Order: sequence, then structure tokens, then C-alpha cells
Amino acid sequence: MALDPNFTTDGGDWICAKCHVPLEQIKVQALYMHSAFDVILPRCPSCGLTLIPQSLAEGKMAEVEALLEDK
Amino acid sequence: MLEQSQLHVIEARCTQEAAPRCRTACPLDMDVRAFLESLAAGKIRDARKILERHLPLPGVMSAVCDHPCENACLRRDLGGGLAVSSLEKFCMHAVPSQTRPIIRPPKPQKLAVLGAGLAGLVAAFDISRKGFAVTVFHEGDAGEKLRSDFPSLGEAALAEELRSLEKFHVSFCPASLDEALLARCLEEYAAVFVDASACDLAPSRDGLDASTLLWKDKICCGGWTSLTPTGARYASASSQAGDGRRAGITLQRIMTGVSLVAAREGENRENRLHTPLDGITPLPRIVPEGDSYTEEEARREADRCIRCSCMQCVKECPFLQKYKEFPRVYARKLYNNASVVRGTRTANVIMNGCALCGQCEVICPEHFSMADLCLESRRDAVERDVMPASAHEFALEDMAQASGPECAFLLEDPAVSPSGGHAPAMFFPGCQLAASRPGQVLAMYRYLRENLPGGASLYSSCCGIPAYWAGRETLFNEHAETLRRDWESCGKPEILAACSSCMTALKKALPEATVTALWTRLDKLMSDSFESTAPKDMSVQDPCGARFDEEWRRAVRSLAVKAGIHVEEPLRSGPESACCGYGGLVWNAQPDVADAMAKKRAGEFSLPVLTSCIMCHDRFASETESWHLFDILPQTAQEGHLEASAPGLSARRAGRAALKEAALEEFLGEKPSVRHDDEPVLLRISEEVRQSMERRYILRQDAVEAVAGIEKTRARFLNRENGHFLGSWRPRNVTFWVEYTADADGGFTLVKAWCHRMVVAGAIQPSEKVILEDKVHA
Ligand code: SF4
Ligand code: SF4
Ligand code: SF4
Ligand SMILES: [Zn+2]
Repeated sequence: MALDPNFTTDGGDWICAKCHVPLEQIKVQALYMHSAFDVILPRCPSCGLTLIPQSLAEGKMAEVEALLEDK
Repeated sequence: MLEQSQLHVIEARCTQEAAPRCRTACPLDMDVRAFLESLAAGKIRDARKILERHLPLPGVMSAVCDHPCENACLRRDLGGGLAVSSLEKFCMHAVPSQTRPIIRPPKPQKLAVLGAGLAGLVAAFDISRKGFAVTVFHEGDAGEKLRSDFPSLGEAALAEELRSLEKFHVSFCPASLDEALLARCLEEYAAVFVDASACDLAPSRDGLDASTLLWKDKICCGGWTSLTPTGARYASASSQAGDGRRAGITLQRIMTGVSLVAAREGENRENRLHTPLDGITPLPRIVPEGDSYTEEEARREADRCIRCSCMQCVKECPFLQKYKEFPRVYARKLYNNASVVRGTRTANVIMNGCALCGQCEVICPEHFSMADLCLESRRDAVERDVMPASAHEFALEDMAQASGPECAFLLEDPAVSPSGGHAPAMFFPGCQLAASRPGQVLAMYRYLRENLPGGASLYSSCCGIPAYWAGRETLFNEHAETLRRDWESCGKPEILAACSSCMTALKKALPEATVTALWTRLDKLMSDSFESTAPKDMSVQDPCGARFDEEWRRAVRSLAVKAGIHVEEPLRSGPESACCGYGGLVWNAQPDVADAMAKKRAGEFSLPVLTSCIMCHDRFASETESWHLFDILPQTAQEGHLEASAPGLSARRAGRAALKEAALEEFLGEKPSVRHDDEPVLLRISEEVRQSMERRYILRQDAVEAVAGIEKTRARFLNRENGHFLGSWRPRNVTFWVEYTADADGGFTLVKAWCHRMVVAGAIQPSEKVILEDKVHA
């Protein structure tokens, strides 16, 4: 069980509204129920604010959540 | 959880895997149903494979069998039993042999057969196929006995089966079948079979153990003749072949030193399968135009098979249909699920997909209860801390809100409480009626106060059924304690409940309390008929909680009659009624199943439906014209809101809070302290977005708090293409994402909302709090 590593936004030209810088694809950890996964997500290189696109949340992430809950 | 032995008892109740009548009638355990199904589908080769798998000496058996299956067939009184024997003959002629068994060098033990009757040859067939050499001693030539017993047997078929036996190390040896031969065989062979139709040495059947056909030492017997009802003796092919097969099992065990009696229960198949025959129209037997069936005739005849099967519960329940099995298999899967220590519990979806409605238990001829099994599994999962967190989380949060300070209240009748007295009755509307119909609840309370001698108190809270359904026994018991304290504090009044789930829960939580259906009391109070704008002809829905509550059901019908309504009973009403999908929290764990339940049930009403449970009403409202009893009663009808659809999740919560405020204001003169419509930000949510939030269990309040929180910290993204803001908020074990625009007037408009449960550092705020809450360890 793994998350496909690289997820970009669902479209649009997103920036961090606080730091006014474009987002970069940066590796972060996703945690759930005693398990951790590496994922590459759009993130603000300056403050670290990270974006989880809807397609990821309701697709792969939901699948993995359900799987982990049955473990 | 269940012991293995308990599982077997539960499992055994479901008869779906039991053999149909044709098969139990066949001493050779022929899978007639599968054979006919293949034929009907035109798969003649598959049909022959099935024949060859079950029948010994298939060329002979298909030609001479006296087919007891046909008499036992459930079609018998619906056009005549299936012509199984003729179809077997057709099949044997239509296609060549389909199995090519491998012939191996024989094992050391050898069997002797005395007499080449059908039983002897079947024993020789079965034992030789297991890899043992067999000598058949016979008088006359090898085929003589069969030829004389079964004159219809064709020479070619006989010759071919004898040849095939020889290939499998069966040798034929002419001999005089006497004591001396038997004595010799006992010395030289590992086991002996004596065919009673061909050898006088065999004792009568009566003296033998019917399950092993063991005579003495290492000798088995079989093949006796049968008696017609008029007392004539004849050779029954099925009975003789059956003897040969049964004895063959014993003989093989003798030869290999295995217990003769262990694990042979399966050989005695009773008629346990329940096949419902309603709706099956009689179809006459297809008689061949010529001497035997053509392929087309054979297909038509085979297609008359009812394919006997139970599935009565499955036909009624969308949950049982979803996972494509039947209770016997589900029981096994739940048991295996509970035994998983490490690994994936794939049957979690089964235990959480049941509405716990109890319909199957009533419908099943053996009263198999999936509800008991699923509830037990949930409790076990909760106890071992392996219940999927998300399955019932929203429902349990809802329960907490309904019984928390925002919504719950206990109002003693203001006419008696100032003097320290208590009213003898307590109206308990239930959290869902309070959520959907706060105005009507209040109107009903006014009426009860005025019309019940001594007045009434009003207690708005959750009955605790969500905790019960979720398998959270501790939570249910804690909640029951709160209910008890409050109930005792107002003098242990009689409780009038307006929801059948509340009735169920309250009876469990407060066994010493008198819990009465509101409808029963109203029916007594209102002796005259009254005006109602409801349709004059309606179908009635019995909520699953009132399945066994005859009083409830009678009162509902009586009130409907007083309103001038003619009530039509739908398919499966009363104890057999079907669930709307609210039961068992399946609406939370598996909304697709719950929706299928609502749809199926609503489809069974030919008229607008009258419900006595608000959840039935609300779940049917999007499917069909639906009326709650409150919409026809004169006390409440005016306060009703007959909207096409039911209130959403956020509106329900607001409804409960509104009831509390209105009640406390009206009866205690308390001015509401906090206005609930005071939200920290002005957030506009279109109907379309609201509906998409409903499907994700995102409340308006969640979205409002998220926008407010994000705007405060300013930790948000901006889409430079359209000016949308995006941010996340994690108030509990869920992260909410909101995409919105900032409007000119300082308010906001929600564009989209979604959520997930995983934690990603940098994608949550307030962040520190969350890590502690989740106790995550990387
Ligand atoms: S009704 Fe259902 S549980 Fe009962 S025997 Fe039939 S298939 Fe099994
Ligand atoms: S209808 Fe078909 S399955 Fe049922 S008893 Fe007859 S042959 Fe067997
Ligand atoms: S939902 Fe009802 S009918 Fe279906 S399995 Fe559960 S208790 Fe039985
Ligand atoms: Zn930033």
C-alpha cells in the first residue's frame, strides 16, 4: 500500500497567500493510524503551508484511509 | 466473540447451501440442479462433465436409473417433475465423454467383489478410480447379471463400461460364489464386497449398519432388491448403485485403516432447503416428438427446473444483495474477520452494512438473524479496538450534539414543578423528531400538557440508539445513566415516545420505566374523527423498531382511520416490514446501501406513504410523497412543513437547538443567551454546494469555522487565475478544506468543500493540537 508519490493541484495558479510565492512540489509525510507515507505535494517553500487537492483527498487518500482502518 | 462451535450452530440455520430435493433423493448425490442448468444454457459438454463427476458407470446408470429424483422434484405439482432420466440419456448420446481420468499403477491393497450385479460393479468402479486393483468374481459372463436385471440396457453401453473398468485394473474372474471363495478372498484381499443380488451368502439388509453396510470383519454387502408398494420385488438401479457407493467408502476406509464412521454425516442429506414456490407458474413436461429429446426439446425441458434455492432474505435486503452472498457465508466471513490478528479485516464492510432492522429474522424459515450477528461483531470489534473509526463517527458526534448542552433539556411541567410536584407523564420526542420538526414537537407538548391529567414534562435528548447500533456498549450504558438520573429526578414518569428506535433504546436503558408509544396515548385521548388535508388513500410504513410492537402499529392505523384515511398495507408490512435505511447507522457507514434500502422500500408503496417514524419519513421524502403522523394530527398539522425533501444535516442540528430555545422561552421565560444564527463570518453556501457537503458529512458549521479560522491566521492559498482562496481546518479527526471567494461586503462565498482524515504536516491548523489528538507514530 503506497500513495503514488507526486500530486499536483487540481488546476489553477496557486500561490501561498501569506508569503506571495508560487508553490513547489515538496516531499512531506502523510500520517494515519500508526502508518506514515511519503508524498510529494504542492507546498509553500517559505512557510511550509501544504495543499491537499480534492482529487487526492477523495481518491487515493480515501482508499488508503479505508484500508488502514481495516488493518 | 463467537466460538467455532457457536458459529457452526448459527451457520447451520441458513439452509441455502443444502441440497435441493432432486439431489437428496439421489443415492448417488447427483447434482441434478447444476446438470439441468448447464443443459438449459445449451452447455451440453458441461452437463456431461457433471454427470461423469457424480455418476458411477455413467453409460450404464444413465440408461437404467429408476430416477427417484423425478418423484421428489419440487416441480412435481407444478407441471410434473423434471424428466431428469431422459435428459441424462440425451446428454450421454449428444456429446462424447468429457473426462479423461489418469490411470496410475495400482496401490498395493486389493478389493474382491463377489457378484457382478450393479452394486458390485459400482463398488468396483469407485474403488478402482481411487487407485486400487479390484477382482470381480462372477457366475456366467461378466455382463450377464446386469443384462437380466435391466433388460433396457443397451449392449454397447454395457460393453464400453466393462472395458473401461478393465482399463482401471478391474479384472473379471468366473467363479462359483460360495463359502470357499469367500474364505479365500478374506485371506488374499484387503477387503471384500458381497453383492446381494448375485450372491446368496449376503445377509438381509436389516441386520447391517445402514450407514456403513459393514457385514463382518472386512466384508461389506449391498445390492438387495427393492419392494414395490404392492409387494413385488425388483432391482432398483439407484438403490443398488447407492449401496455400492456407500459400501465403497467403507471398503476404502478398511483398506487404508481409517475410521469407518467418522465424518460421514454428509452422506445422509435431509431435505433442509426452503424453496419458496409462490409466483412459480405450472409448466407441463416437454414430451419428445420422437423417441428421445432433440437438443431444443432438452433445453426447454431442462429450463423448467426451478433451480431450487432459498435466498428469501436476500431477495428483500439490499445489504444482503450487495456482497453477493447469503447469511451462511456471511456468518463464516464475520467469524474469520473476528479472528484476524494481523492483516486486513475484509468483512468489516459486512458487519457495518446491516441496518440491524430484523427483517431477515422474521422472513427466514429458520429465523436466521443477521442483525444479531452483525451487532455482536461490532461489539467485538469495538472491544478489541479494531472498529474502523470513520464508520460511525458522524452519527456518534450527532448523538453527542443532541444530548449535549446545546440541544438537550429537561422541562418539568411549569404547572406542577414550582410546588415541587412532578407530572406523571414525560414526552420524549427523540433527537430526530426534534431535529426535523421542532415546531410540531412544541405544539404536541402544549396539547399533552393540557390534556393529560397532571400534565407532562418534556425531555429532549438522544435515546442512545446510535451508541447501541455502533456496538459501543460503554457509551450506551453511560448515556443510559444520564437518562436514568433525569428520569428519576422528575419522579419516574411514564415515558411517551414518538420514535420506534427511541422505544427500543429506552426499554433497554430504563427497563423499569413504562415506555408507551405516543400514538397509543393519542389514540385513547382522541376518540372522534378529525379533519385532515392528507390524501384519502395511503400506504402505511411500519418502522423496523415497531416490528414486534403490535400496539404501536394498531394505534397508527386507528389514528389514520380517524383522519379519514384508508390505509393500504404494502407488501411486507407489520413484523415483516423493511427498513428505510436509517437503522443500524448504515446511513453513516454505507450511504449507498441505505439509499438502496430507501429506494426499494419506497418503490413498494403504490400510494403516498404514511409514516410513524420521522426518519422513515425523511428518508422516503426524496423518493415518494411522504407524510408523517404529525402532518395529519390536528394538534401538529398546522405547524408542519411539508417540504419535498427532508432537512439536511446542518438544519437538523439547528432544529434541535431551536427547539430548546423555543421551549425554554415559552415555558420558563428564558431569553436565549447566544443566538445560534450568530456566525463568526458571513458565509454564503449555494444549494448545490450544500448538497455536495451533505454527501461528505460536512456541516455548515464546519465550513463557517474553517473560513473564520483561516481568515484569522491568514494561512491560505490564492488561485491567481480566479481569486479563489483555499485553506484547511482540523477541529477534530477530520481535516476540512474550503475553497471560497471574499465578497465585496466582507462576507464569503463557498465554492467547494472536501475533507480527509490523514494528517499532513503543513496542511493542518491549528497544527500542534492535532498531532496530540491523533497519537500518530510515524
Ligand atoms: S431465508 Fe436467508 S438465512 Fe434463511 S435459510 Fe434462506 S437464505 Fe438462509
Ligand atoms: S425443480 Fe430442479 S432443482 Fe428443484 S427439485 Fe426439481 S430438478 Fe431439482
Ligand atoms: S438490514 Fe435488516 S434485513 Fe438486511 S441483513 Fe440486516 S437485519 Fe437483516
Ligand atoms: Zn507561505
